[in-house]
Parts: sequence; structure tokens; C-alpha cells
Amino acid sequence: MDHLLSIVLFTPLLGLLVLLFLPSSNKNLIRWWANLASFAGLLVSIPLITGFDRTKDFQFVETAAWIPSIGASYHLGIDGIGLVLVILTTLLGFLSILSSWTAIEDRLKEYYAFFLLQQVGMLGVFMALDFLLFFVFWETVLVPMYFIIAIWGGQRRAYAAIKFMIYTLIGSVLMLLGILALYFYHQSQFQVLSFDIADLMKTNLPAGVGWWVFWAFFLGFAVKVPMFPFHTWLPDAHTEAPTAGSVILASVLLKMGTYGFLRFSLPLLPDTSRNPQVVNIMAVLSIIGIIYGALACLMQKDWKKLVAYSSVSHLGYCTLGIFSLNPAGIAGSVIQQINHGISTGMLFLIVGIVYERRHTREIAEYGGLFKVMPVFSMVFLIAALSSMGMPPLNGFIGEFTILQGAYQMSFNWALWSAVGIALGAAYLLWLFQRTMLGEASEKNGKLLDLSPREIAVFAPLILAAFWIGLHPKPMFQVLERPVAQIVERVRPGYFAEHKLASPLTTPAASLR
Amino acid sequence: MPASLWPSWAEMLRFLPEIILTVAGTLIMMLEPVLGSRSRRGLGQFALAGLSAALAAAVVADGSPGPAFSNMLVVDGFATFFRVLVLAVGILTVCSSYPYLNREGASSGEYWALLLFSITGQCVMASANELIMVFIGIEISSISSYVLAGYLRDDKRANEAALKYFLLGSFATAFLLYGIALVYGAAKSTNLAVVRAAVEKGEAPLLLVGIAAALMFVGFAFKVSGAPFQMWAPDVYQGAPAPVSAFLSAGPKAAAFAVFLRVFMTAFQGVSDRWAPVVWISALLSMSIGNFAALRQSNLKRMLAYSSIAHAGYVLVAMAARSQSGSAAVMFYLAAYALMNMGAFAVVAHVAGKGERYVEIQDLAGLAQRQPLTAAALAVFLLSLIGVPLTGGFFGKFYIFKAALESRLIWLAVLGLLNSAVAAYYYLRILVVMYMEEPGEVTNGLGPLPLGLKAALAMPVVGLLVLGIFPSGLLDYAVKSAKFW
Amino acid sequence: MTGVPLSWYLILSALLFALGVAGFLFRRNIITVFMSIELMLNAVNLSFVAFSYQLKQVNGHIFTFFVMVVAAAEAAVGLAIILTVFKNRETLNVDEVNSLKN
Repeated sequence: MDHLLSIVLFTPLLGLLVLLFLPSSNKNLIRWWANLASFAGLLVSIPLITGFDRTKDFQFVETAAWIPSIGASYHLGIDGIGLVLVILTTLLGFLSILSSWTAIEDRLKEYYAFFLLQQVGMLGVFMALDFLLFFVFWETVLVPMYFIIAIWGGQRRAYAAIKFMIYTLIGSVLMLLGILALYFYHQSQFQVLSFDIADLMKTNLPAGVGWWVFWAFFLGFAVKVPMFPFHTWLPDAHTEAPTAGSVILASVLLKMGTYGFLRFSLPLLPDTSRNPQVVNIMAVLSIIGIIYGALACLMQKDWKKLVAYSSVSHLGYCTLGIFSLNPAGIAGSVIQQINHGISTGMLFLIVGIVYERRHTREIAEYGGLFKVMPVFSMVFLIAALSSMGMPPLNGFIGEFTILQGAYQMSFNWALWSAVGIALGAAYLLWLFQRTMLGEASEKNGKLLDLSPREIAVFAPLILAAFWIGLHPKPMFQVLERPVAQIVERVRPGYFAEHKLASPLTTPAASLR
Repeated sequence: MPASLWPSWAEMLRFLPEIILTVAGTLIMMLEPVLGSRSRRGLGQFALAGLSAALAAAVVADGSPGPAFSNMLVVDGFATFFRVLVLAVGILTVCSSYPYLNREGASSGEYWALLLFSITGQCVMASANELIMVFIGIEISSISSYVLAGYLRDDKRANEAALKYFLLGSFATAFLLYGIALVYGAAKSTNLAVVRAAVEKGEAPLLLVGIAAALMFVGFAFKVSGAPFQMWAPDVYQGAPAPVSAFLSAGPKAAAFAVFLRVFMTAFQGVSDRWAPVVWISALLSMSIGNFAALRQSNLKRMLAYSSIAHAGYVLVAMAARSQSGSAAVMFYLAAYALMNMGAFAVVAHVAGKGERYVEIQDLAGLAQRQPLTAAALAVFLLSLIGVPLTGGFFGKFYIFKAALESRLIWLAVLGLLNSAVAAYYYLRILVVMYMEEPGEVTNGLGPLPLGLKAALAMPVVGLLVLGIFPSGLLDYAVKSAKFW
Repeated sequence: MTGVPLSWYLILSALLFALGVAGFLFRRNIITVFMSIELMLNAVNLSFVAFSYQLKQVNGHIFTFFVMVVAAAEAAVGLAIILTVFKNRETLNVDEVNSLKN
């Protein structure tokens, strides 16, 4: 299968094209088709897992000419980090479409079309090995999300959608400048026009330029993550978006930012990335994000907004892990990104389910749901425990590994992020107590428990949460090599210096 | 001196598009009084056929490039690019004008004839190799456009648009012409290549060349609606009939940029480090004035007018780069811009209704529910105007800012990109109205999309998507032909 | 070139052009504004002729004819436009033609 990645990438597009020709009056046909198409998208991505060879770097590579005159090509490939994110995308893409079955009633065709288009964009971001191609996919994702918020969103959807779009646009146009600067320096040093990441990596940027390019990239990625102080679009977008939109936004879209740091900022600009000043700024912003997000959660009256702010806090761990610049931090960060996709995805689905039944997100309106909806409450409990990092669930693995990494850099980092973990437990347990425990009021007394379809949505996520929590080894193994590549790139000789066996040399040696 | 005054066949072939257009235009004017009222309707189709034939001729003429008429004109890749572009703009204009004129009950042969003459002028501009030809081309194009802008004689808004367009346009032409006279005096010729040689060798007095370049800059800046000479554009685009506004914002503008670029990159190449800062400032002003004024508009046509000023600013950024890739970026951008702006104005023409009563942004409310395909087409145009990937607008901006960075115009690129992010706001607002609000009176009473408008929407959408996904072909052609000797 | 040097013609031409610009900017009657534009064009013609004489070429003279023809066409169209404006509004003051705005 030479074109496996292309197949995975374009299956949703194919589904989209067929979808456009279905009659919009036949709602069930559209629903079935969209679900089928996204399920097919999930299925075709499974061979990626089985065919993945963790002793190699980029795999399933495809190259084709695209705009040869400026050195941009259609170049796809994934390493371990790309693999887990692609799988996360196909899984959550399917689940979010599945979860919309009853939630969305009008303009179904456009709704599913935007989801499928978005799926293509997100997959492209995680697969592209050409910087321009990456940028095209990166920006493509904006449009469907804008429409999803703008059309199917809540009361203040116009404001939220425009804010989301403008914030990200400003970030990404400046990132584009950074890309171009790098591109021209590469050209002047090698007399070759290329947007290929492998080529750009060879560029030797003067220190001052590297500094500016780093911050240009930073703006693009930090807005997406979102890092403090660029996070303000997030609570609005999340609160106003329809449930499935929030799920995709939190679970996958935000990861594009952290992925950007891992794939571009660190490997392309290693000198700037290990500059202590830069590292300190990034760590401080991450820690502020962690603490601020958690404190904001404690003050929210709106259930969905609370979950949104918890994203700010959790993504803070991810960026902190990345800028620990050691294997533990980075691997932990990737795992935490997946975890956040799973747990926050569940939390948003949970809000969506009660919202669909009660049409309010005020936490004060709820209470005592445990007795009314026991299955639902169990799911919520699992999601909350996973989100707060309780063993044996997945969150624990991610946060613990990041703490390990952060501790190697500085005791203070670890201390503050531990404070964040405590706060995380506080707001989630408090939320659980306020909504699930106590006596059910009259309005909540007759709420229906989860339907089989809703259970089907949660089941894979819960399984994944337990699987990563109990048996994280395969995950670490897949990530070992790409993470080591990044660390070696940013801190050459790291493994030798710390007397560690480098995954870059050992498996290859043992193979020979 | 040429041996014979009669031009050779090769020269005639190079001039064939203009000949076809002139003949077709004249025929239309002569046929109109002869034909019955029913067959008069066919004149629009006749104009379409004339434009298509001219387009084919322009493509064929590209096969035998070279000068024509004692070096007055030259057919090269650059000329062909812009000739094809303005002819395509003409075809789109005919498609969107046909149903419009029927609706207004104002269909007549002179409209088509004027349109063809105006495009003739733009074709001459595209291939002018000589300052006097530049002047004549501009005037042929402008004089016809003045009339087109005021074509609806009894409409006060159209009158006013025509008057302002005429006065300010002639005013600008006078500056341009004065510049030409000084160039002639300084370089003893008006041939671009000769002028260039004289300027580069230092034979022409620098002071005179400088004044001439400044005067010509004023003239061209007027024509392309670049700041600080942009003030006519909002009134004219708002007052003129929508298909004419579409035409004005695409055809004459593209042709004006073509001569602007050709004159400044050849004749004034030797003093390019003197005019570059002026273009730099003009670019920044155009973008900022256009975008920030557009933010405050509620009239759709006026908003698009301000946006067209901003887009002229982006193109000026590429011009300020003074390089081959900058010129190629100008060409690519103008092609993409012509498509998206023509498309957007076509939707306006459709929604406006008889007498253009509904041209407020608010009038688009709920369009997505009543006519989803029209709304989707407008969405594509607006996203392209923002510069979102998968549309031609993205690569247009990308090439411009790439060229700017290549020429070390870092601050201009930063400010331009920030501008384009700000601009997203007012385009998105239209999307909001169209997609999120409930259908209002206007969209509920909207008739079906006539065939002509369908074509005027479908062609740009396809074109923009092709340019947005596979920009390579057009860009390579532009780079190849953006060589000024 | 006997007697009058080239620079005098150029200065005169520049003065006339400046007068035309001033008239365009400061006069309020549309016809006068239009005449100012014609003045500018004729100022340019003077330059063309002067240069042509100086350079011993006929080109400049021919350009003048081009300009005159174009100016005539422009005048025809311009006056027609001014006429329709007057018919619709009964005024020839540029400041009163200002219905297009927000």
C-alpha cells in the first residue's frame, strides 16, 4: 500500500463529495452516509497502526510534484507522533459525527460536509512534511470550524466565530512570515528552493533571525494551543460551538498547535529553542496557563466554560513538557495531548448530553443526576478522573511523565504544575459533586439515561483511557524514536551526556 | 523607417484581438438600428462571441510574439497574460450584464459596443510598448468606461458616479500625459526600451525623469485606485450599475496595473530605488485606508469598493518588491482578484433587485437558506478575498508577501499581513449575515438565478478553486513572462 | 532655436498646468472644472511642441494631434455626462452632487 496516507487523507473528502449530491430532504440518508464515511475514515487508518515500524523515522512517505517552481511538493509521511495524532483524529472525527445524530436537526448536509472537510484539513496537518502544504491544511481547518460555530452555535455564535477566526488568522499570517524567512535563508545557503522540512532543517540561521522566526512560529502555534495570554478566544469558541464542534476543537484542533511546536519550532530552530531565555518564557507562560486555567475553572458557573478553561490548564502541561526538552517531558506531552483529546472530548460530550436534555449549561441548574442517570454518572466520573490524572487512568501517565521531565529542568516547574494538578482535582470533583450528587430537583428527576448510541460514542474513549492508563508501554515505544530525534536535535549529545541508551542507535544496532 | 507603411501579416496577427473587438463593437452599433427588437437581444450573445474570438486570437497571437507597428506595440507573454485576463473579465461582464440589463429594461446595443471598446483599450494597454500607446489605450478604455458607469441615464446615483469617474479620471490622465511629455523631452523618445537605455546611461536629466516619474505615478495611482489617489473609487463603484462596478474593479484596474508595471519596470528601471519608497508608502496607505474604511461600511458595493482599494495596496506591495517574482505575483494576484471580485459583484447584482434597491449587507440575511448555491459561491469569493487556502486568493497573497520578503521589505510584509487579518473581519461579517440570520424580506422575494449569472458565478468559483489547489501552471507562466528584457 | 529658450516654454507650460490643477481643485462649477482639465491637457501640448521643436523631431507634433483628438472625444463624453447630471439634478455645483455616501 504505497498510498495509504493519501487514502486516509482523502477518504473523508470522497465522502464529502458524494454527500454534496445527496438530496438534502432525506435527513436519515445524509446521517447514515456521513457516519459511514467517517467510519470508513477510521477503518482505513487502522493499517497505519499495524504497518507501523517503530524503528524507522518517517513512514508511509509519499511525494508528488505540486508547485515545483517554488519548491513546494505534496509530501506526506508520519512518525510516531504523527501516527498517534492521526489515529486520534480519525477516531474522534468519527465519534463527533456519531454524537451529532440527534443534536443537529437543521442544515444537516452542510453540517456534515464541514465536519468531513475539517477532517481532511486536520489529517493533512499531521501528515504534511512540506511546510507550505502544512500551512495550507492548517488554514483550511479554520473555515469549517468557523462555519460550524457560526451556524450551529449558541447565542453569541457570531462573536465567537469571528473572534476565533481573526485570532487564528493573525497568528498564522505571522507564522507564514516566519516560514518564508526560513525558506529564503535556506535558499541563500543552498541555492535550492524548497519547503521540505528535511531540507529546511539543514538551514543555518543567524542567531538574531532564528529568534524572530521562533517568535513568528510561536504566535501561530501559541494561539492555536492556546497558550496564555492568547487563550481568550477559546472559552468563547468552546462555549458557543455545538457539542461535536467543541469535541473536535478541544480534542484535535488544539493539538495542531502543540504538534507545530514539536514538528517545526524545536527541530527547525534548535538553537533558539534551547536558549534559556526562551525556555524560561515558555515555561512561565505554560505554568501561568496551568494555574490560571485551573483557577478560572473554579469560578465558572457555566459547565461548558469550565471544561473549556480546563483545556487551557491541560494544554499548559503539554507545552511545559515540550519545553522541558528531555525525552520524558516530550513523550509525556504527546501522551498528555492524546489524553486530553480523550478526556476532554468525553467531558464535552457529557455537557452536550445534558444540554440536549435540559437546554441549559448552568451548573446550578443540575444536581443529583447520579440517581437519575447512573450510567451517565459513571461515565462522567471516569472522564473526570481521567482528566484530573488519577491512576490507573490515562491522565496519570501523561501528567506524571511530564512532571518527571519538568523536574529534571527545574524543581519549581514541577512544584507549580503539581499545584495545578491539585487544583484540577478540586474543580473536577467539585463539579461532580454539584451536578451528580445530592438530591435531584424536579426538572432533573425524569432525565433519560444514555441511549445505546451514546454509550457507543463513549465506549471507545473509555477503553482508550483505561488502555493508556494500564498499559502505556506500546505508546511509549511508538513515541520513543521521534522523541529522541527531537531531543537529539535540540540538545545534541543528550543521551550520551546522561548515559542513556539512545533509541536512535540501539534498535537499529540490534537489527543489524 | 519601415519600408512599407502597410503592416505585415504577422503584425496584423499580433493586433488581431483588438481588430476583432473593434469590428464587433462597430458592427453592433451598426446592426442595432437595423434589427427588430427581438433580434436586438441577440447583440449580447454577439458581443460574447466577439470576446471569445478575441480571446482565441490573443492565445494564437502568443504563438508569434514580437513587436508590431514600428515597435508601438509588443506581443509578449506579459501582454498575452493581461489580454487574456481582460478578455475573460469581459466575458464574465457580459454574462452578468445580460440578465441585469433585461431586469432593468435597459438592454441596448451601445452597452455591448462600449464594453467591447473599453476592452479594446485595455488590450492596447496590455501590449503597449510606447508611452503614447499607453496614453491612447488608457483613454480608449476610460472614455468608454465613463459612459458605462453612467449607463443608466435616469439613475441619479449612476449619473453621479459617471461624473466623478469622468472628472477625476481625466484629471489623472492629464498628469499622466504631462509625465509622458517630460519623458519625451528628457529621453528624446517615448519608446520604453529607448527611454530605459537613456535613463540607465544617465543621458536623460535626472531631475526631469524624476518629475516625469512622479507625475506618471500620480496618473497610474489614480487608475488603479491606490492611495492617496483612491477617493473616487467608493463613489464610482457604489453608484455605477453592479456589473459595471464589477468590470471597473477588474478590467481597467488590471490593465492599468499592467502598464504601471511595464512602464516602471522598464522605462524607470534605472531610477527604481527612487520610486520604490513612494510605492512602499502608497501600498501601506492603500491597504490601511481601504481596510479600515471597509470595516465601517454597511453598503455592500461601497464596502467592496474600499476592499478593492485595499487589494490594490496588496498588489502595490508586490510592485514595491521590484523583482521578477514581484511582477509575477502582481500578475497572479490580479487574475485571482478579477475572478473573486467579479463573482462577488455578480451576487450583489442578483440580490440588489430591480433598480438596485437592496445593496445593504443586511439585505443578504438568510441567503444561505433561500439560495444555498449562490451563498456558497459568495462564500468562496469572500474566503478568497480574505486569502484562505484552497482558493486563488491565498496563493495570490502568498506570492505577494513571498516576493516582498525576498526583496527584504520585511515591515511592509508584516503590516500587509496584519492588514489582511483585519480585513477578514468585514468579509466574515457578510458570511455571518448570510449564514446565520433568518431570511428577510429581500432574500424571501429573490427570484431564481438567471442563466447568465449562473455562468458568472460558476466560472470564477471553478477558476478560484483551481488556482487555489494547483497554482503552478498560471504562476509558471507569469514568472516566465514577467521578464522585462 | 532663436529667441525664446526652451525653458521658457516649459515654465509657461508648467504654470498653465498648475493653473489647471488649481482650477480643478478650487472651482465649484462643473463646467469650469472641466475647462480646467482641458487647460491641463493643452499645457501638456505646449510642452510636447516645445520639446519636438528642440529635438528637431516631428513625433511631438504628432502626439499633440493625438492628444487633441482624445481631448475632443473626452469633451464629447464629458459634456454628455454633465448634461445628464444637470437634467437629473438641476445644478452644476460639484458640492451638490453628493448623494453617494453612507
